[in-house]
Parts: sequence; structure tokens; C-alpha cells
Amino acid sequence: MLVSLTLSDLRARYGRGPWQLLKWLSDPFAVVGIYLLLVTVVLDRGGLAPGLSIACAVVPFQLVTMAIINGLGALDLRGSIILNMRFDRTLIPISSAMTETVAFAASFLLIGLMMTAYQVAPTTAALWLPVVMGVNFLFAVAFAYLASLIGLWFRDLRPFFLSFVRALFFLAPGLVPLSLIGGRANELVKVNPLTGLFEAYRSTLLYGHRPAAWQLLYPAAIAVAMVVALVPVYRREQRQFAKVIG
Amino acid sequence: MTTAVAAHGLGVRFFFDRQHRVVTPALARIRRRVTDLWGLRNVSFSLAAGDGIALVGPSGSGKTTLLRTLAGVLTPDTGSVEVRGRVASLLSVEAGLMNALTGRENALLLGVLGGLSRREAKRAVADIGERSGLEEVFDNPVSSYSQGMRARLGFAVTEHARPQILLLDEVLEALDLEFRDYVVARAEAVRARGGIIVAAGHDHSMLARLCGRAILLQEGTVSADGDFDDVLSAYTASGASSSGDVTGA
Repeated sequence: MLVSLTLSDLRARYGRGPWQLLKWLSDPFAVVGIYLLLVTVVLDRGGLAPGLSIACAVVPFQLVTMAIINGLGALDLRGSIILNMRFDRTLIPISSAMTETVAFAASFLLIGLMMTAYQVAPTTAALWLPVVMGVNFLFAVAFAYLASLIGLWFRDLRPFFLSFVRALFFLAPGLVPLSLIGGRANELVKVNPLTGLFEAYRSTLLYGHRPAAWQLLYPAAIAVAMVVALVPVYRREQRQFAKVIG
Repeated sequence: MTTAVAAHGLGVRFFFDRQHRVVTPALARIRRRVTDLWGLRNVSFSLAAGDGIALVGPSGSGKTTLLRTLAGVLTPDTGSVEVRGRVASLLSVEAGLMNALTGRENALLLGVLGGLSRREAKRAVADIGERSGLEEVFDNPVSSYSQGMRARLGFAVTEHARPQILLLDEVLEALDLEFRDYVVARAEAVRARGGIIVAAGHDHSMLARLCGRAILLQEGTVSADGDFDDVLSAYTASGASSSGDVTGA
């Protein structure tokens, strides 16, 4: 069922054919390009391989934001089915995250290009990448559940919620790595779970060493706490979906 | 297992915020100035194998809400509903189809959501395309289909599930005459093998072909329950019939 929901979601959101790949790639390429100009030209604060460093934040963040965007509208997108038949709707947010994971996988082409451009060779630390990506996916699933509930409860607040999540990118070392953030801010941004996630990608792909435990465990713990708290609420509320949508 | 449907004191309640939008009960508890409305209240009836029952009543009387509750799409807030048998439902002119998907993709998705494995659903798709008579447009997006074509596809999907309980809401009205005859024949076959048909709509001549019994719903409660013609007479006499009701053959 999860595979079917995800495949249908992919087609509904991204269409079919060769243009699909272009749709997945255009956004992360454009975002990294703009941020790269901002950091290296406007702010003149590049650091080590700035394009790759930014891609290590933009690509995982893209998965989270797209899962949220998908989650916010997931019930509306499937409204006709929800109103017509009974099925396990608990899987909808997971399928939202899985749909965007396909696009996320495609956007890894950008990271590959950046590694080539900056002549950063992969090391054995890259073996940690599946673990980092697993935490990233778990984080996206947790936010997809939250987004689905917010889309159900506070339909008017969807754009504000998305803006709040986008703000989290700038409250984490998205544009510049954690090592370039000094003073008290260096400690404060670690409260943001995205910090660990971004730095874990940089550790494995840019710095060539395994991620620090906190970089994986903290975002994973936040994601697990969200899933544990939100899934029972979602399961209870799914009985009301047809009332709100219909 | 004998096919049966029974409702006991069934109630479904809707909460509305200040903008008259439906909110969930959990949200209603923490929001101020929330109003409520019972979509169904104290509805009781029972259906046995071979029954065909029509739900009639003006728009907003609770027909769709009752069908959705029987389908398990809505959960009762009071009372209980017991449904014994494999249910297939066609509860809107959208027929449960996603616009962006093709007929084939919709058939596959609905098959899986209906309980088939992905392999079984793939095998069923060709048969569904043939039954619906839409083979030529089966790979076109459903957004390009007319309401009648959607209803054909939706019905073909539900039929493939070999339902013991078939729930139909106003979809019949979107169908062309040729396919209506097909639906009536298939519905009769469901009843003949011990199944149950519950259909709602405003085309009473069509409902009369499917059902021998009717329930008149008014403001979410059962006003009459009995022989189709008697209930329809009571409905017409009540003066509550909608302008959209079609009674002639």
C-alpha cells in the first residue's frame, strides 16, 4: 500500500517522463547557486569548498521542506479517496516523505557535481552516509506527520508554518559550516536539530571523518520524540478526516 | 458469515468554527465559539442478505453521511454500526479517483487500497479497463474524463472487488442510459448472491430499479422506513422533496 501511495503521489506531484528529473533538480540547483553567490561574493565568507558545504545543508533540508509541503496538502490531494473508501491513512505522511525521498536521491547529483568541482574525493567516512540519510528520512517523516495535522487543524496557517520551518534553516549552519560560527552563537545553533544533520553530511562528505555522535543522535531523538507524540494523535484524528475534507 | 448491516442509535456530529468550517472534535475543545450540528442522530435500521435499500431525502438530510459511515469513512460519535461483509463504495461523482492519475493508475491504486496485493491489482487492471468500456482512454489522466466516464471506471473498480455490500451515492445520476442498465444488472447480481445494496440519490426511478425498500432521512433522522413506493409517497407528501429530485421513469 505504501508503494502504491508513493508512486501515485510521485505522478500526481511531479508528472511523468524525462522532465520529472529536471523538476527534482531545478530547485536544489537554484537554491545552492543563489546561496553560493550570497556567501562567497556578497558576504565573502566561503570557508572550505563553500558550494559543497552549502549543498550538504540544502539537499537534506530540501527533503524536510518538501515532505512538509507534501504533508500539508496530502489529505486534500487524496481527498477523493479518503471520502470514498476506508483504508489505513496512517501511511499517508510516510508516503509523503518517501515521495520526496525520490527527488532527494536525484538531487544527490548536485553533491556529486560539487565534490568533483572542488576535487573532494570520497573517503571511508562516506560509509556513514546511509545512517545520516536514515536520520534525515526519519526527521522528514516526523515533520510530515506534524504538517499533516497542521494542514488538518489550521488550514489558514499553512504558509506561516512553512515560513517557520524555512527560518530554521537560517537558525542552523546552513550557509556557513558550524566551524565558522563563533562565540555563544556556536552553542545556541546546536539546539536546532538541523545543525547536527547538516554537520553530519559535511563530516561524511566534506571533512572525511565520521559524524560526531551528537550530530546523529540529537536529531534522531527529536524525530523519534515527534513520531511517538504525533502518530497516536494522527491515528485518532484520521477518523475525522472525511468530516473536515468533505 | 451472513452479510448484514445494522445501525443502532447512530449519531454523527460536526463541529464548526466561526467561519463555519468543519473542525475536528479535538480542535473544537480548545477553540472558542464553536457550534455543532448532528449530521445523523439516533438512526437505527438493519439490513439482511439480499436487501436493497434506497436513502431518500432532501439535500443535507444525511444520506451521504450515512453512506460514509457504513463505508467506514466516518466514525459514529454515538451509537454503533455493524457491517458484516466485503464493502465496496462509490460515494461521489469523483468516484474516489485522483485527477492527476490515469484511469489505469487509479484502478491500480484503488485495487491496492481495497485490499489487493500490488500483483493482484496489476492483473485486475486490464479487466477493469474492459469492464468500464474505457480501454481507449485508460491511459489518459482522469482529469480529461467526463463525470459519466469517472462513474464507469469507479463502478468497474468496485465491481472487481466482488462486493457483498455495495454503497452508491448519486453516482448513478452521472451515468449514461446504457451503463445504467449494466449497473442495475450487476446490482441485482450482488443481491441475488446474498449481498446488500444501499443507494442514495435524487433519481428515484433509478433507485426504484435497485431497491425495494427505502429510508426517508430528514435533518439527520429517520422519518420513514419501509416499502420504496410508500416511503417515496411520504417524502413527496411531506413537501420536503428537492427541486433536483427526479421521480419519473
